[in-house]
Amino acid sequence: MIFRTACREALGAPALAMAATFLAFGAAVQAAGLGFGWGLAAALLVYGMPGQMVLVTAVALPGGALPAVLGAAAANARFLPMAVALSPWLGGGVRRWWALPFIAVTPWAMAMRRLPGLPAESRLAWFLGFGLTSWLVAGAATMLGHAIAPLVQGPVLALLLLVNPLYFALILASEMRAAPSRRAVICGCGAVPLALLLPAAWGLLAAGLLGGTLAFLWGQRRERR
Amino acid sequence: MSGADLALILLILACALLRAAGLLVAGRLRADHPFVRWAASVALATLAAFIAVAIVAPTGMLASIPFAARLSGLAVALGWMLWRGGMLAPLLAGLSATAALAALTAA
Repeated sequence: MIFRTACREALGAPALAMAATFLAFGAAVQAAGLGFGWGLAAALLVYGMPGQMVLVTAVALPGGALPAVLGAAAANARFLPMAVALSPWLGGGVRRWWALPFIAVTPWAMAMRRLPGLPAESRLAWFLGFGLTSWLVAGAATMLGHAIAPLVQGPVLALLLLVNPLYFALILASEMRAAPSRRAVICGCGAVPLALLLPAAWGLLAAGLLGGTLAFLWGQRRERR
Repeated sequence: MSGADLALILLILACALLRAAGLLVAGRLRADHPFVRWAASVALATLAAFIAVAIVAPTGMLASIPFAARLSGLAVALGWMLWRGGMLAPLLAGLSATAALAALTAA
């Protein structure tokens, strides 16, 4: 029951955001001269848009695969703190490993809002329902984007790429009522100059580490008072 | 195997390792453990930085949308959400505002 509820929840704004972004990704894969299977594997098995886009851009450049992989992995390094933050909500058994392929920004952000309010025995089912639905939407949108790539260019592609940041901004804005989230968002935005100074793949990771650590220390200090 | 295929396989493994490491490390911790709270803070701050960069100084195709249009889209989406709630309608309103302003700027 909770599984189906989660599937339905994933089919609103989250599905639109996923579909738009992965449609743009499918078109970018086709434009880079990469195959349909490559794009689908990247969408479903990497399942982290910044890293996917870094990889698509970088593999086309001379210099080999390794720099592309390092840059893309750095861009997706947020999976580690996300999985750490999510793990305690998924229960302690081995079943929580089923969630592994679905840990990405959209399911994670929605899960951090929803899971604390659900009974412990329903949390994993909710995450699997939401995650699986989002994952399937991402795969379908990538296939469609690859197929209709000539139609997804210029301003249309740019608008599709804007859907993701706008959607994430809405998620974060709805989280701002909680003080720890508010502090993390403020410090993350404050650390943006670091992201702009460093190479793109490393900059976001560095800004997140700095901003997130400062926000955490800020919270610790307030608790001690 | 081409360089692109090799790069994709290595990235898939790297991403799986990052996720697995997180699940493994925090599997026995409570949600209010300081390490888990720090990790959540880092993940949220990274997301906030990603959004800020996408609006203020994006690269690639996103940069073809004028800054004023990107910022207006964000403002309209957030304003709509504060006013009426929901997610889908604010998202569509923000996109419409961006598209309209970008078209006006280009005209």
